[in-house]
Parts: sequence; structure tokens; C-alpha cells
Amino acid sequence: MKFLTLIALFMTGSLYAHPVIFEGGTVISSSNMESYSDNQILYSYSSKWAAGVNHWRFTKNEDNTEMGLARLNHLFWRKNGEDFQSNIYLLGGIGVIDSEIDKRTTDDVYMVGIEADWETRNLFAALKHYQFTSPRVTDLAMTQARVGFSPKETPYDQLQTWFMVQGMYAGDIDRTVSITPLLRFFYHNVLWEMGASTRGEWLLNLMVHI
Amino acid sequence: MKKFLIACLLISGSAMAKDITIKVNGMVCSLCAQGIEKKFKDVSEVSSIKVDLDNKVVFLTTKGDLDINDESITKIITGAGYNVASIERK
Repeated sequence: MKFLTLIALFMTGSLYAHPVIFEGGTVISSSNMESYSDNQILYSYSSKWAAGVNHWRFTKNEDNTEMGLARLNHLFWRKNGEDFQSNIYLLGGIGVIDSEIDKRTTDDVYMVGIEADWETRNLFAALKHYQFTSPRVTDLAMTQARVGFSPKETPYDQLQTWFMVQGMYAGDIDRTVSITPLLRFFYHNVLWEMGASTRGEWLLNLMVHI
Repeated sequence: MKKFLIACLLISGSAMAKDITIKVNGMVCSLCAQGIEKKFKDVSEVSSIKVDLDNKVVFLTTKGDLDINDESITKIITGAGYNVASIERK
């Protein structure tokens, strides 16, 4: 049971929106669930650093906590293997939080995060943790992870399909872990995902590299 | 005669173009490949780019007698976030 709980904690839920991409590249991503959304525009001004803006929403009993953040992401470590790539990213942000959950309080908010991933042409695993701190609003923490596989390695100009399981644990919003099986599709510079969680929430994600 | 001259020009032009095969480490998805493709599209010496994701290889053809050296290729691949495993020319 303890093992299952640990697995569940690492199975969490949003798009793994490449925090830093190629120099001069822009990532637009949108992750959406009923209890959660994360929308980002990030510009990679080098292959190690990206900056941009980010909007988050957490919903608890129909009350929203929303954040607007200026973001700075750093590719801290990368290993490019012959058949795999793995990364560790360090993430930071500063902005404004507006919480209906905390008696309609608006305040400054600071975010720090870490993401790690490993992927091959047909296997994927990732883990991330975000911590949001604000002087007057209750702190938020979110841990997410994902594992997946693609049954077929398709050429660059064809659609690639992935089967994945993800989850999210944000204990300050909900004490339960949301597990979400989903389908991921890749085509050239566009990635989209759809799924439904064990709590009955839909999931719809989109990411474009420009 | 005119047709013959044009044919000669076309043949000589294509004969001078260089085919470059780059093996790239870390290129595991179409988003990775797209980044590399986009970087090479900005290079004036390059006339065509083809990506073979299965073999993690990028094929370049240069324009006319233009060339792009290994150092520039490595810089572009590194700038895209990947590593060059090998570069071969024909």
C-alpha cells in the first residue's frame, strides 16, 4: 500500500511543457483540467535559458486561486545519449496571486520549481515539483510525474501516438492524488494530449514550438 | 545549343553542392528535430534539410558551391541543445 501511495504521488497531472528549447525558439503551452490550469509563453534566448509569462489556476470547491508570473527557466543539466535524452531544469517565477480560497486575498507570489525527465523514441518518464510562496496567502505545493510509452516509432513527418499516465498531488488544494491516463500526439512542432482522471476530470493540453 | 548550355550549367551546379550527413545525439522526438530543422533553415548556405528521426540523422545539401564547415554545424546543433556524434561529407 505504501508503495502504491508512493507511485500515486509520482503520477500527477499537467503538460510537460519543455521549459527551455532551442535558441531563439518560443513555446506556447496550455494545460487544462477542471481543478487546475497552467498557460505559458516562454522564449528561449539561449539553449540554457528561457524567460516568459505564466498563468496558473487552482480550483477548490469552485473557488479559484490564480497567479500571474514572470518566469525564468534554466536547463541545469542535460545528457544527450545516442538513443535518449535526459534533463534537469530549475524554474523560478515572481508575480501576483489572487485567492478566493484565502478570503479573497491578493498578494505577491514567488515560485521555485524543479523538473527532471528522461525520454527515448518510445519511453518517457518525468517528475516535477513546484512550490509557491506568498506572504499573506497560504503556500501551495504541487508534485507531478508521468510515465509513458509509444507503441510505434514513426518518422518525423508522421503522427506519433503515446500512451501515458500522469497524476497530480497538490495537498493544499486537495488531499487526494489525481491519476490521469491520457493519449499524447506529436506532429512536427505540435503536441496535444487528452485524457480523463480517476476523479472524472477531463484533461486537454496543447503545446506548440515556434 | 542553348539547351545544351543550360543543361551543363544545371549539372555543374548540382555536382558542386555538398551532401552532409550529421549524426545527432539526443534527437529523440519530432519537437527536437523541428528545432534543428529550423536552425538550419536560417543558414544561407543550406538548400535542403531532411531529418531521419529513426536513425537520429540530419541530411543537409548545400547551395551550389557553398559549404558549411564542421565548426558551424556543431555550433548550430549545440545551440539547438543537442550533440554532434559525427559529420560525414560526400
